[in-house]
Amino acid sequence: MLKRKRFIFAILAILPTLAIFGYVRLYPIADTLRLSLFKWDILSRNKPFIGLANFRELMGDHLFLDALVNTTIIAFGVLLLTIPMALVIAALIFHRTRSRMAGFYETAVFIPHVVSLVPAAMAWKWIFDARLGPLNALLNFFGIPAQNWLFDPVLSVICIIVLCSWQALGYAVLIYIVGFKNLPVSLYEAAKLDGASGPQSFWFLSIPMLKPITLYVSVVTLVSGFNVYAQAFVLASDAQGAPGRQVRVLVLDMLENSFRNYRVGYAASEAVVLLVIVLVLTLIQFSMLRERGRI
Amino acid sequence: MASVEIQNVRKAYGAFETIKGVSVDVPDGAFVVLVGPSGCGKSTLLRMIAGLEEITGGTIRIDGRVINEVEPKNRDIAMVFQNYALYPHMTIAENMGFSLRLAKKSKEEIASRVADAARILGLTDYLQRYPKQLSGGQRQRVAMGRAIVRNPKVFLFDEPLSNLDAKLRVQMRAELKDIHARIRTTTVYVTHDQIEAMTMADRIVVMRDGIVEQVGAPLELYDKPANMFVASFIGSPSMNFLSAKVSEDHKSVVTENGVRLPLGAEASAAPGTAVTYGIRPEHLTIAAPGEGIPITVTNIEPTGSETFVQGAVDGQKISVQLRERLFIKTGDVLNLTLASANSHLFESVTGQRL
Repeated sequence: MLKRKRFIFAILAILPTLAIFGYVRLYPIADTLRLSLFKWDILSRNKPFIGLANFRELMGDHLFLDALVNTTIIAFGVLLLTIPMALVIAALIFHRTRSRMAGFYETAVFIPHVVSLVPAAMAWKWIFDARLGPLNALLNFFGIPAQNWLFDPVLSVICIIVLCSWQALGYAVLIYIVGFKNLPVSLYEAAKLDGASGPQSFWFLSIPMLKPITLYVSVVTLVSGFNVYAQAFVLASDAQGAPGRQVRVLVLDMLENSFRNYRVGYAASEAVVLLVIVLVLTLIQFSMLRERGRI
Repeated sequence: MASVEIQNVRKAYGAFETIKGVSVDVPDGAFVVLVGPSGCGKSTLLRMIAGLEEITGGTIRIDGRVINEVEPKNRDIAMVFQNYALYPHMTIAENMGFSLRLAKKSKEEIASRVADAARILGLTDYLQRYPKQLSGGQRQRVAMGRAIVRNPKVFLFDEPLSNLDAKLRVQMRAELKDIHARIRTTTVYVTHDQIEAMTMADRIVVMRDGIVEQVGAPLELYDKPANMFVASFIGSPSMNFLSAKVSEDHKSVVTENGVRLPLGAEASAAPGTAVTYGIRPEHLTIAAPGEGIPITVTNIEPTGSETFVQGAVDGQKISVQLRERLFIKTGDVLNLTLASANSHLFESVTGQRL
């Protein structure tokens, strides 16, 4: 009797939270899935069900495919740049924790993660500026010819990767530092006696033992990489100054389709593609974590 | 193989000194146990030999070479940690061969040395498993194996058995002793368990508060403790202490209310000197009727093979270990004979043996 009462109370207690969660998190996802199957635009009254026609159209849409390729390159580029750098920086900070500057280093690395995107991107836009930017000035100093960073199709993607990595780094370093703090000290002492140098302990102990952390950070970085938008929008305008056109990314394509072309159903199908990519990445992470747990 | 000489070694953290000038000689091939209560500095001393802690003062020599400033990996020592410190992501074979791999030995050599060590330790069937898949005792053996493959000059053990259950601990104690008898590598072993110390050591170093209280063979420490601390630390249950005064004839000591306790030899102290009389629980036996010293029983603990009796002599606590089965209850008075030859006399204030 008491158990039943407590159960009802518990349900009632979490119901408001569940309701809010359902409304703001689950309902939009479900509705996006539904919209992707309709020819839903803002102007027509008639919004007929068209099955997978939207997805079929996506497969032939050059703008979408461009955006998909760009986004994938950016996401994996950010991953490849962020993870090794974060690991090394976290190791350096962790092994120097006794230094008075440790707190400063940690904060310095983390700040980009909390800084507003647009001003940060503006600052980088200036760094990359072909005529006034300090980057080209530095290159000139070493006798390397100035590059047209933000207008070259390849370089502009690299610029976005650098900006995204700069932002993702702080979070990754923070998580890695926590990981380092949880590694048992005695293992490093044992390795020291076994004859391992600092870099050897890092290579043979830290990297393999931090594998679960690396998996987690990779997925978080990849997912946020696939959601890249503002960085590309601010940093890379095309030759005529239209923002975001130089490096087209998925989120931008989606926004254009729904709010410029009013094709909400079509944009929803793009969102579904993005959702599937993110879900697959997450599933891969979970399965890899589980595999490790078996050992 | 090598000797280890520790000379007047000190360790300070800021102004706080944890090791206050310790000197210990570990002869070649010996099994020396550092024992003492927690916080006495025994682990710190071991870690200084290993090179994991800096030495504030004094010198440590291995095989005659001062190693104060030598990197741990160049000291030619191997250490077994309390929590084993096995690399969780490596197989047992990889764990044991890690040091050889770092030393850039050939694959064949690593495999054969690991196989040899595995054979000594009975781990051959487990080489491809991971530490997680082994029991506590097996992990302990892997930690040993990791030390053995390197064939170091000195083995260091930091409370290696304290994470095992009581039964396994007794078994591993015997195994460790057996392995040492076979490979005869100089060993320094740290424990807080005096039974481990007594059963395994060639020599015991008793430490307290950063100083050495006594060094000697196990039975030497048991029979002739240098002071009350060693007397109470070595032996279980521990020695009884009764305060008394030396009698006129030097042949006994007398408690406050006149209970006479016999001595094995004449006391060197002047009559009337306040002393502490020490006698181990097993050196008390039941006296013939009408003889011996009366003890009021306060607690009885039968264990089957023997009976532990707690009681009071002239108001002072005493515990007795008897072989016979007794049919007594608390409050009874038991007459006991003290084996005077096994009595000890300590200075009351300093606790030093008289």
